[in-house]
Amino acid sequence: MLTQLGDEAKLLAGGQSLIPLMKLRFANPQHLIDLNFISGTSFIKEKDGILRFGAMTRHAEIEDSSIAQKIPILHDCAAGIADVQVRNRGTIGGSLAEADPSGDWATVLMTLETEVRCLGIKGERTVPIEDFIKDAYTTALDHNELVSEIAVKKPNGNGGGAYLAFKRCAPVYPTASAAVQLTMQGEICKEARIVLGCVGLTPIRARESETALRDKEIGEKAVSAAVEAARTASDPQPDMRGSAEYKRALVGALVKRAINGARRRALGEKIELSHIYA
Amino acid sequence: MSPGETKRWVGESLPRKEENRLLRGRGKFADDVKLRDMLYLRFIRSPYAHAKILSIDVSAAEALPGVICTLTGAEIAPQTQPFIEIGPEPFAKIKDYPLAVSRARYQGEPVAAVVATSPAIADDAAELVPVEYDSLDPVVDGEQALQDKSLLHEEAGTNRVWNGVFEYGDVDRAFKDAAYIVNIDRLHFHRFSSTPLENNVIIAEWDPKDERISYSCNNSFPSFAIQFLAAHLNVHIDRIRVETSDIGGSFGIKITSYPQMAVCALASKKAGGRPVKWVETRSEHMTSSAHGNERTFRDTRVALDKDGVITAITSRHIDDCGAYPRYEPLGCVIWSQVFPGVYRFQNARIDFTQTVTSKCPVGPNRGYSRMQHLWFLERVVDLCAHELGIAPDEMRLRNYIRPEEFPYTTPNGCVYDSGNYPKMLQVAKDLIGWEEWKKKQAVARKEGRLFGMGIGTTLDSGTNNFGQSQIVNPGLPYSGNSQGANCKLDIYGEVVVAVGSCPQGQGHETTAAQVVADVLNIHPDLVTVRTGFDTERNVHTGFSGTYASQFAVSGLSAVHGAAQKLKAEMKRLAAFALQTSEDDLEFGVGAQGPEVRASGNGKSINYWGLANLVNANTAALPPELYELTLNCRYIWRAPFKVPDRQKKYGNLTLTYASQLHIAIVEVDRETFIPRILDYVAVDDCGTMINPSIVEGQVYGATAHGIGAALMENCVYDPVGNMLTSTFSDYTPITAVNMPALKYGHIETPSPHSYSGAKGMGEGGAAPIHTISAALQDALFSSGIVIEDSFNNADSLFRAMVSKEIVQAGKLVRVERRV
Amino acid sequence: MPEAVQNIPIQLKVNGKLHSLNVEPRLLLVEMLREHLDLTGTHVGCDTTYCGACTVLMNGATVKSCTMFAVQADGADLLTVEGLEREGQLHPIQKAFADSYGLQCGYCTPGLMLATHQLLSRNRQPDDKVIRKAIAGNTCRCTGYQNVIKAIQLAARNMDRV
Repeated sequence: MLTQLGDEAKLLAGGQSLIPLMKLRFANPQHLIDLNFISGTSFIKEKDGILRFGAMTRHAEIEDSSIAQKIPILHDCAAGIADVQVRNRGTIGGSLAEADPSGDWATVLMTLETEVRCLGIKGERTVPIEDFIKDAYTTALDHNELVSEIAVKKPNGNGGGAYLAFKRCAPVYPTASAAVQLTMQGEICKEARIVLGCVGLTPIRARESETALRDKEIGEKAVSAAVEAARTASDPQPDMRGSAEYKRALVGALVKRAINGARRRALGEKIELSHIYA
Repeated sequence: MSPGETKRWVGESLPRKEENRLLRGRGKFADDVKLRDMLYLRFIRSPYAHAKILSIDVSAAEALPGVICTLTGAEIAPQTQPFIEIGPEPFAKIKDYPLAVSRARYQGEPVAAVVATSPAIADDAAELVPVEYDSLDPVVDGEQALQDKSLLHEEAGTNRVWNGVFEYGDVDRAFKDAAYIVNIDRLHFHRFSSTPLENNVIIAEWDPKDERISYSCNNSFPSFAIQFLAAHLNVHIDRIRVETSDIGGSFGIKITSYPQMAVCALASKKAGGRPVKWVETRSEHMTSSAHGNERTFRDTRVALDKDGVITAITSRHIDDCGAYPRYEPLGCVIWSQVFPGVYRFQNARIDFTQTVTSKCPVGPNRGYSRMQHLWFLERVVDLCAHELGIAPDEMRLRNYIRPEEFPYTTPNGCVYDSGNYPKMLQVAKDLIGWEEWKKKQAVARKEGRLFGMGIGTTLDSGTNNFGQSQIVNPGLPYSGNSQGANCKLDIYGEVVVAVGSCPQGQGHETTAAQVVADVLNIHPDLVTVRTGFDTERNVHTGFSGTYASQFAVSGLSAVHGAAQKLKAEMKRLAAFALQTSEDDLEFGVGAQGPEVRASGNGKSINYWGLANLVNANTAALPPELYELTLNCRYIWRAPFKVPDRQKKYGNLTLTYASQLHIAIVEVDRETFIPRILDYVAVDDCGTMINPSIVEGQVYGATAHGIGAALMENCVYDPVGNMLTSTFSDYTPITAVNMPALKYGHIETPSPHSYSGAKGMGEGGAAPIHTISAALQDALFSSGIVIEDSFNNADSLFRAMVSKEIVQAGKLVRVERRV
Repeated sequence: MPEAVQNIPIQLKVNGKLHSLNVEPRLLLVEMLREHLDLTGTHVGCDTTYCGACTVLMNGATVKSCTMFAVQADGADLLTVEGLEREGQLHPIQKAFADSYGLQCGYCTPGLMLATHQLLSRNRQPDDKVIRKAIAGNTCRCTGYQNVIKAIQLAARNMDRV
């Protein structure tokens, strides 16, 4: 159908981003292809250390899933998106396909080994998440392709992750967010993935921050360096959520707290993290 | 209370009558009204803040199937009179039409309208109306507007709507004798709105057969609206019917919807009399319904004695009223109802100027014009306390009007009826655990944490003397205040009350029933209160509506008066029917329902019987009772005089409720996010008619204030684009933002209402003053001055880190004379 | 210009009653409820999916009916505020809101009560923090949320007893 209708058609998943745009008449597709009635597109499975999410799985289903909770950072994300009503409709596949610069899923999934399975007329292909999100509102999908599944590799036993965001209130996008996944060996950090959300056209992988932590003890010095590097790596735009300078400062503070949360989880602590509201 | 009245219901937390329909989804809100052959209207609005309108092409829209007609300003102007201007020359000369005629003066101003058979077709048609503009220089800043470089209204020849100097006492002497003088360069009260959850909705029918205009809408001051509409549309006021039913909040924002009401009526007329419905979208509401007044305070000088008691204040106030005055310049005098706030200073000079700007016109937003001034005073007191090293609670106690001084006449002649601010402060401190928090603060400060405790004392002045309008414009024919009510026994004896109010959640049906129940000694469930406002019921006066925190005083006093009148008639009738004297009679409820009993001979007559005598069995009545109708209309008048216009002196409001809030706040050093750790609200509204309703409104007003202080700001960019036109940008406060509130109250009864109640709905915006004070306390030692009423993480960051905002040394200077 | 659009037939249950309708594809679910089914208890308060005045239950989960097309509810089981009462008897949630003065103008109340319904169907002992998060997508301008939270806690206790 996508091929037939070309530019005049858009896919409808959760609709929590697309329908508001249509109501304000910023998006005016002539046709909508509703994915909600296709069976078998919503599932959460685990096999051989890989968690697989059907593209149409709702944020709320992931929030409630005991399988998803095996990777706590996924629960941090799913439980914090928007509000209850939006989580009941919005989908992980739709969120990734939308590629909103402030989208929570892309930011979080980039801290893990994640592959996005894309289905098109020519068949299926798999794209790593870092290559899937290309630019603001732009993904690797061809016009006649859709996301069918997201596969996330469980980090090994000494791993821990945390996702923290500051939102002015629930129904809006975060002002800034930080996703951190660490692999610890005792008190030394062996591997780090730090992704900054809402401070660039896409989520930003803060590699210099990761370097500041790698093979070091997660003490004040290393964390400070990681925070500074995160601020430098961010490229925020000013808007009603805040000025660029503030977002830069904020994302640094969130990285610091996310590193701490990730470290504690990597060391086996079970902690609850929630978004910060004004 | 009058003799023979048993006070059982006033003062009770009676469950609200309104719940029965509202909880079941059976409320009748304006958009729930569906009329036969109804059409739907959509406005086309200016994208420019200031522009000449060169052309409007409605042909494509009119050609769309389902479009019935269109309207433009050029079409409306010849058929109508521009709206009445409240202010004097030169602004009396401006031409305010409900659709822009030659110029658009704010982004979002309606310039045309389309009317279609469905809302979707109207939306489609609105996209087909190309408008050519020639953009002009907008004026976004009030102080800049006063330079008159770009004029919004050519006919006025200036942007300045009004100016007046309010001077009392001996200001120069006070400054000469001062031990300290504190200079504050600039303070700013931001522009925000209470944004009721239900937007404006208007259905208008202009019937060509009898030329009557019928409105079904949610305007919250219909008596005001019809006066403007009658003059604008050239019709008799009595030909305009306005009906309101359930209203989803207003907070003053739905008062100034009369321009949209005019367009809907004209559209109906053009559509041959079919009803035309306009359902405002949220974006329209944010950009073009009404905002609260924005006010800047410059060159403030404060004289204090050696104990930190303020003896004089001088200041220049610049009020920004948006593109069209409308309800303004009444705001230029209304603030003076609370001229000294809760403080005792006698000497002051306030130079008050109001200007137009290319922004949404303002309306009497909750706390109208007084909250801006009260915030200013509270900032002054708070900053002086910090500068002089006096504890904030001590500073207030030294400066408060004392309880024994009530009734207190202010320097400008307003009479504060009653109050006890020191007691409220003590109640608040006890409830929040002031001493405990002080200890925690000391510990936190040692750790370098930014921990603040703030007090905000404010007033909610209720029941206006409209004579104050003559201070802004001596030619105006308005003074005093009144409210009407009707109380009757229906043909079968049912007690029915109608009152000229249009409640938006304040529980008027319930409280009115409580009042009547006490007069007649029956249960409130036996009193039917007609909901909403209807001009056809003929109980309204020129001041009828629901605004200005006055229903408990004006509305309920009118209801009480009407019920008393009815009771007097019932007594005369019962005395005749029971063959006894009026003194012998008791009111109560018997086996046959509500009745009047003769205690002497044991006879009784129920309400059905009484009504029957007057309505259906009239031959049984003797001639001397022919004048009885059992249908009693009563107009309550406030005991006001016209103020002295020259001296700007006189009593401007009848009752003064007060609020005292305390907030404990911490600003996170890394994220700069301000967090409320604890909060208490103490309220004094005199006798509480229904304590639970009062408590609920205190919580609601507190939420509005906290939202305004930390989250809600109507923002324009330098060229007049409105940046917060959706809820997602504006972020009205939600449950995760609100702290759990502690609540207390005291009662200092007012001598002015029969019950001792004071009006209280607006709440004086105490949280804004309180949070400013708490943030100030947290940040004073960092050298930050809280000079704006709006503070969020971003603004605190910019003040503290990027030093973008000019800081303490330049904003506040202290001269020490001692 | 869009060419003439075909209406789409849908069938759904609303408050226990089956309905068959033909609707325009662009008709929103809230518009369908208010205009086609005359269920005006569900309200519209904003245009960016913020305020939740339009909240209804669809297959047991709350949705903002302004952000769904009516056609997406084909085959669904909806509960609106009108369906809370049973034979004129108020639902414990409705009673709790009345007893706690949990409403003033009543405009947000239907959406809030349905959000409460979802919360209490999964958690009968929600604390203050959990409640606030559960109603974070419902804006109220009158109550300050304080009595709403009291109402929800009261409803939880009363429903627990049943």
